[in-house]
Amino acid sequence: MDRRKFIKTGAILTGSFVLGVPRILGKEITYPDLVMVKNGQPAEMIRQAFNMLGGVTRFVTKGDSVLLKPNLSWDRAPEYAATTNPELVAEVVRQCYQAGAKNVIILDNTCNDARRSYDSCKIPEYAKAVGADVRFVRDNQFVDTEIPGATRMKNWPVHEEVFKADKIINIPILKHHQISGITSGFKNMMGLVGGNRGRIHRPFAENIVDINRIIKPHLTIMDAIRILRRNGPVGGDLKDVERLDTIIVGADRVLVDAWAAKLFGVNPQDVEYIKLAHAAGMGQMDVVKYQPVTYSFKA
Amino acid sequence: MKIRPLTVRKVAQIVFFLLFVLTVFQATYPFKPWLPPELFLWLDPLTALTTQIAAHFFDVVFILALIVLLSPLVFGRAFCGWICPLGTVIDGCDHVIAPKKARDYRRLRPLKLAILTAVIILAVCGVQSAWLLDPLPILWRSMGVIGMAFLFLLVDVILNGLIAIGIFPGTFGNLQDWLSGYLFPVSNPEFGGLFAPLLILLIILGLSRLTKRFWCRYLCPLGALLGLVARLSPLCRIVNPAKCTACGVCKHKCKTDAIEDDFVTTAKSECILCLNCKDDCPGEAITFGWRSPKQMANRVDLSRRAFLGTGLAAVAGAGLLKINKIDPRQTDRLIRPPGALLEDDFLERCIRCGECVRICSTSGKCLQLSVLENGLEGFLTPLAQYRRGYCEFNCNLCGQICPTKAIQPQSVPQKQTTKMGQAIFLKDRCIPYRLNENCIVCEEHCPTPEKAIKIITKEYIDPVSGDKRIINYPYVDELLCIGCGICENKCPLNGEAGVIVVREGEERLIA
Repeated sequence: MDRRKFIKTGAILTGSFVLGVPRILGKEITYPDLVMVKNGQPAEMIRQAFNMLGGVTRFVTKGDSVLLKPNLSWDRAPEYAATTNPELVAEVVRQCYQAGAKNVIILDNTCNDARRSYDSCKIPEYAKAVGADVRFVRDNQFVDTEIPGATRMKNWPVHEEVFKADKIINIPILKHHQISGITSGFKNMMGLVGGNRGRIHRPFAENIVDINRIIKPHLTIMDAIRILRRNGPVGGDLKDVERLDTIIVGADRVLVDAWAAKLFGVNPQDVEYIKLAHAAGMGQMDVVKYQPVTYSFKA
Repeated sequence: MKIRPLTVRKVAQIVFFLLFVLTVFQATYPFKPWLPPELFLWLDPLTALTTQIAAHFFDVVFILALIVLLSPLVFGRAFCGWICPLGTVIDGCDHVIAPKKARDYRRLRPLKLAILTAVIILAVCGVQSAWLLDPLPILWRSMGVIGMAFLFLLVDVILNGLIAIGIFPGTFGNLQDWLSGYLFPVSNPEFGGLFAPLLILLIILGLSRLTKRFWCRYLCPLGALLGLVARLSPLCRIVNPAKCTACGVCKHKCKTDAIEDDFVTTAKSECILCLNCKDDCPGEAITFGWRSPKQMANRVDLSRRAFLGTGLAAVAGAGLLKINKIDPRQTDRLIRPPGALLEDDFLERCIRCGECVRICSTSGKCLQLSVLENGLEGFLTPLAQYRRGYCEFNCNLCGQICPTKAIQPQSVPQKQTTKMGQAIFLKDRCIPYRLNENCIVCEEHCPTPEKAIKIITKEYIDPVSGDKRIINYPYVDELLCIGCGICENKCPLNGEAGVIVVREGEERLIA
């Protein structure tokens, strides 16, 4: 452990201890519901975010089977910002196991060939090293599911693991997308459905919201460490990649997406599916009223 | 315990067959072969001859074929009896379907020489015929394309069934994923028109119903070629006249109709050194040893008349085939693999072994064996069919694996800029144009660093309701499009896509 790491760890430990004291004294303290952490290494940022939110145990309880849904969808190396940061995912896996999760499953219905995408994005490599159960998605694993309250997609094949898992954690990467301006948490749930997914694009916003009516992540971790500015969601040019070194974490999936839009430079009001999701009562979208608690590793 | 030479031969057959199977298994993404998948095809002198003659080139890897071509000088046609994997498959089949009592069609023995003549003359005329007559490409294609897909289906059905009824679902699920990591793609490849290559294989195997090793005895031009060299071999079947009782068991047991009616003379061009005769001789009269090549030997020859006749027929056939060309302007949907040579060169070099189709089925899944889409001359050549798959942007494996470089090997960056064709929008099908609704799945998937599918955003006013909406209308930047076909593949329409890839602007390489 070098000095910098020592001081940082020390600071975090002291911080959590100080935050923990009031609880011991019997005072009720409230933790924030939305946090934004900046300018750190992926692993330390997510650790910090969980500390600020009151620990992973707030979201994952002992014996849970956790379904992680990062974006593994494209045959691209992590630097191209088409897929979720593998270090971030690995740290989330580790945290889940520390919180006592029975099983952490990672899967994605990829757009490019599954094996190529799983290999290139490096997430399986990093996540398996810390004990995650990384699986391929197969046609026979989809269950035709009725979607209550759906406006367009009355029923659709949904991956069985969505119903088996106790907790779902969504780890999308923030990218440019031609239809909606950005692609973020809501769109990332497309990796848990099957069928002719191209059909979901019309009308895009309604269908994306419908998918999220049946798949409800308990926590959304927005990876804005590298973001894809142009030519999304597949990218392929390092010039289109921008480093923001930021993550946004929260249980309110609409609010996380709204803040992601703001971070990208898009007004959440202009993102159709965020508006629809808010109108459907799935979460808040007012980025003025609901501010994240922010922490930066650099001053 | 004494090991019988016959056992050694059988073990060798199994070992070489398994090596062949290994080369088939190794032709897969992730591509890290420790035995080149092309090995057996490089060793095949007939492939080397026909391809290099037909396409006028020399490739140093085909020096490997000289080993096999010259091996009969020492060992006779042992390649056919000990090594050839198609021979082994035929042997296996013979156990089941060949008549118990061997029948000879002795008049047909020179037929394979006629076929060899035809194959060579066709090659001289620039017509590749290895696909129909060369045993190794035939077997590679049958196992690599049909066999592997079938095996995968079988494994998938069994494992899915076990998982569905709840027998160790976790374990079998893990097994399935482990297999996907090393052997099989995640989803089963599908092929159209497989009946054609299957039929060729079934005919070859089915001929054994007439008599064992019918293909090797009377048809195989590779066997004929090796037989010609074997005539000069000093290795020979020696019959001890003092022990021979002329019982005829040897002739009956002979796999290839190599023993003449006196049971002493052997046709060296026919004998594949299977050792059946030696093993079964009740008087132990037969040994194999070194003698002057002409001793106790008989020749099987093609008559001059038959030779000339075959030659003329081959020339005529080549001519007819060339006349029978499909109109190139009618082939705008026939997309070749990335890095394919110019069409004429491509057809001359492609031996239809199916290696590219096999490896593509583990990656982008676009390559298919054509049937008659591009004429008789293009029979069983690879075509990219984008409704079944698409060319993976980061994949260059078809070029890495082509044994005759009909698809030139290219680095990934080279391949990523080699234009296979051109995407065009069918505006009376494409959703934004036809219905004025947003879709752009094609744009989303377009893999070039700067997207070749671009968007014009326009406001659309519904003429009936007067509603306004913003619609993204896609179009293709022809300079950026490489024709990979992912747009056509992912188009959500049923039937024909709203964006299709045509051959216009395709980039073909010069050898």
